[in-house]
Amino acid sequence: MTGETVVEARDLVVRYGSFTAVDHISFAVKRGEIFGFLGANGAGKTTTIRVLCGLLQPTAGDVRVAGAGYADGETAIKIRVGYMSQKFTLYNDLTVGENLDFIASLRKLDRSYYLERRSDLLNLISFTKGLDATVRDLSGGIKQQVSLAAALLHDPEIVFLDEPTAGVTPAGRDRFWKLIHGIAERGKTVFVTTHYMDEAEQCGRIALMRDGKLVATDTPAGLKSTAFPEPLYELDPVARLNPADVAAWEEHEGFAFFERYGPRFHASPLNAEEWQRRRPELERQFRIRPVAPSLEDVFLRIIEGPR
Amino acid sequence: MINRTMAGFIKKEMIQALRDPRMKFILFVAPLVQMTIFGVAISNEVKNIRLAALFDSKDYVLRDVYERAIQGEWFVPARASRAMAADPFELVRSGQADAVLVGPPGGFTRALGRGDAPLELLVDATNVTQAQSVEGYMRTIVQRVVQTDLHLPAGGAPIQFDIRVLFNPSLDTSIFMVPGVMTMLMVLTTLVLTNIAIVREKELGTFEMLISAPVSRTEVILGKTVPYVVIGMTNLPLVLSVAVFVFHVPMRGSVLALIVATFAFVCTTVAMGTLISTYCRNQQQASMGGFLFMFPAIMFSGLIFPIENMPASVRWMSAIDPLAHYLSLLRNIMLKGGDVRTLASHTTALVILAAVSGAISFKRFHTTLT
Amino acid sequence: MNFRWRRAAAVARKEWFHIRRDPFTLTLALALPLAMVIIYGVAIDFNIKNVSLAVSDFDATESSRRLVDTFASSDYFRVRRADSPGQALQDVVAEKARAALVIPPRFEKDLGAGRGASAQVLLDGADNSTVGPVSLYVQTIQTLANARIAGANPVAPYDLRTRFLFNPELNSRWFVIPGLIVVIMAILSIFLTALTVAREWENGSMELLLSTPIQPIEIIAGKAAPYAGLGILAVAFVYVIARTAFGVPFEGNLLVFALGCLLFLATYLAQGLLISVVTRQQTVAMQLSMLTGMLPSNLLSGFVFPIASMPRFFWYFTMLLPARWFMVIARRSFLEGSTLAQLGVPLAALGVSCAVMVSLAARRFRRSLE
Repeated sequence: MTGETVVEARDLVVRYGSFTAVDHISFAVKRGEIFGFLGANGAGKTTTIRVLCGLLQPTAGDVRVAGAGYADGETAIKIRVGYMSQKFTLYNDLTVGENLDFIASLRKLDRSYYLERRSDLLNLISFTKGLDATVRDLSGGIKQQVSLAAALLHDPEIVFLDEPTAGVTPAGRDRFWKLIHGIAERGKTVFVTTHYMDEAEQCGRIALMRDGKLVATDTPAGLKSTAFPEPLYELDPVARLNPADVAAWEEHEGFAFFERYGPRFHASPLNAEEWQRRRPELERQFRIRPVAPSLEDVFLRIIEGPR
Repeated sequence: MINRTMAGFIKKEMIQALRDPRMKFILFVAPLVQMTIFGVAISNEVKNIRLAALFDSKDYVLRDVYERAIQGEWFVPARASRAMAADPFELVRSGQADAVLVGPPGGFTRALGRGDAPLELLVDATNVTQAQSVEGYMRTIVQRVVQTDLHLPAGGAPIQFDIRVLFNPSLDTSIFMVPGVMTMLMVLTTLVLTNIAIVREKELGTFEMLISAPVSRTEVILGKTVPYVVIGMTNLPLVLSVAVFVFHVPMRGSVLALIVATFAFVCTTVAMGTLISTYCRNQQQASMGGFLFMFPAIMFSGLIFPIENMPASVRWMSAIDPLAHYLSLLRNIMLKGGDVRTLASHTTALVILAAVSGAISFKRFHTTLT
Repeated sequence: MNFRWRRAAAVARKEWFHIRRDPFTLTLALALPLAMVIIYGVAIDFNIKNVSLAVSDFDATESSRRLVDTFASSDYFRVRRADSPGQALQDVVAEKARAALVIPPRFEKDLGAGRGASAQVLLDGADNSTVGPVSLYVQTIQTLANARIAGANPVAPYDLRTRFLFNPELNSRWFVIPGLIVVIMAILSIFLTALTVAREWENGSMELLLSTPIQPIEIIAGKAAPYAGLGILAVAFVYVIARTAFGVPFEGNLLVFALGCLLFLATYLAQGLLISVVTRQQTVAMQLSMLTGMLPSNLLSGFVFPIASMPRFFWYFTMLLPARWFMVIARRSFLEGSTLAQLGVPLAALGVSCAVMVSLAARRFRRSLE
């Protein structure tokens, strides 16, 4: 891995009429990275990916994908990338073989090259159903894997995956991510958006988007330590708390972070002194134990937390 | 001209179109069924007019007129014919009769003897063409009967017209109608299907996948339309065989001319379907768009209403109606043998319509999302 | 089966919100019928005039010229000169003329010699809408020519007076417009429900609805209601245009007409819902609507092509079409002033089709639950 930048966005802006979907974002992705994009729905992730795939002209700013930009014509970008969209990439009423044939023709692949790639990729995803299987009859997990194979058919250097594991079982997601790692090891750059925190953990670096802006870009560990400079504690209520008490704690200025976490709470104090002062009172209401921050906590803190 | 991408496209579209069994039904079975029903059922001919006549037993001339009339194909007896004191107006009003003959007081026969015999014919004129024909038929019948009964010289008028109906001497209605129905059916499959197929991709999201590949506008547009041109053309032998073998519509022109005309027509309707699809974001709009086109297209095609009679302010709608051109072409080729200049002018019109629709579609089509 | 009005009303309200937020459907439902009635009201005229007549005059005498003049001076024909009979025939083939007149060289001589002169009239039999009327005109001209040129004025001992009832001036608009209302409403109602509801099946919200305790019949009633309201509104607009802009009279009972309208709309709306349940897919829903809605109501309802002229089988078959019955009600209400009693049969027929269609739709909805 050479550390060379293969995807770059500089001050990217996308506006639809008066609505700004992407608001001056900049980032750089290196070759072989698995780069994750996190954010709520409507934050601008899909729009950004569309721009990077050559599907959408930006309103302002610049993108460079494997050395090509919109000034070279969108086709220059499209040739170099593979794309797996959020909605169905494959035709339900066609078989796997027919779908792949079609994509091969869209990409103008030479027949023998295509056949070789096809068997390689189907092997990679351990596809056992046969080329005559109609896509409609496949399970969600297998459909996504075949979609991935379709996106990789022309051997692009960079592949963009927009919520690739939506609606797939945990086992299926696990298998899928093993594939992603396999691809990255071969030198491909993977750009992925996801809602699942455990998947985000597997990315090399993550970018967090909110309301069209990029609020943080770092490795998972980096994000966690930036978000929680102070230790994080899990608070398990001893007895049922009434809503007034909960509200009181949530508003308390002694805490930099106080959020529900299922039936319990995660809290991070402003500083060590505050913690010492609050601790006795807390111990009366909660059982306390320190926990390592998860990306979920980071997400809640940075994106959904009060600002 | 057809490169790897387009060939792949065409293959995919054909597979999709043909795989859906309901689509197959609509593409192939429904046209045949429709042709049969409409080719047999509809006609402009006036027949089975329910006639009543009010006369007493001594009025033999009027009776002869009545009997003569119902013997022919045109008139049938109305149910309450020999009504005694029935009000002729009521007979028509109540829907029991379409036409009523009313002799003068004292009887028609006696009045004829005097040389002054008014004979009244009441006709239900809600259907205008029917009413005109009824009057015409009755006039002829009365004239003949009076001539025979009064033993008038049969010499007839000095000037006689020898009237011949060309191309369809037996006035067989299916010969007019079937080409029209053929036209309608072919446009249903080409225009409507193309439109919907294109919009369906947009709506389902596969369109996004499509344009993420480096395909040009030409490749996508042609890739999606050529299969429907092919499917449209395959409709022709099917529909033509039914027309010729079942309805005995003559085929006096050349098959080549017919193929060229059909090809121009199919290209035009597919192009128009594509144009409509560029304005539609989802399938519901696509279907509406198809309908908005079809209804006036049928109305102005000349199948139901005479185009020549339309005021100039609306006649231009027939000029841009591909169905009108194709119907003229079909009738001209099949019934009249195909006149070169007529064929050329209608075909050129189709080509122009196709080119314009195609050009606008091309401009409106984007390989990026907006 | 217990029917709760509240649930049906809730569905109706939701449907109404959908419609209100979909300007497309709204415009379609209201503006389209209006636009169509206006355009077709203007465009359609069955009183054929200015028929192009190619004349080849071999005789070139005063008599023959006067014959040609008799044609030319009538409103019916427009004369164009042809050099030879062949040319005249060619003009008909090439669509430059709809009829041809060929006067042989001995015309005047024959006339003078008392032998009886004849001229050949050729009619274009390829177009059904003109042949009938044109041949009637030719007969009229024959009588005129005899009177003017040969001085033969056979004073017929009788005088056939025709009274055209309900439409004395044979106004095409009075004939077409009431029928047009029927046709447009038939198409629109099937279309609207088939499409809007098919969409709900496709995106799954119908299943959501069916998972509640709501009864299928309540869904049908609720979904059809807003469209029925729109439909009645549209008919009201068209009624106003018909009465004011086109001067079509309305002799009948507005309430009876409204009742017929309601039953008619309900039937076709239910048919649309049935189509939506059966097909669950917009593309197919639309094709099916066209097949069972638009084409039959255009062609088999008695709109232009009289049912009496159809083969006997169709007299019974068309009884299945609601459009056929409402056509009777509409025409009679506008032009004949029929009462409730006189329209009993069509109203009952509409009532039955409505009940049948609604129960079919309900049954299918229920089956789709299992």
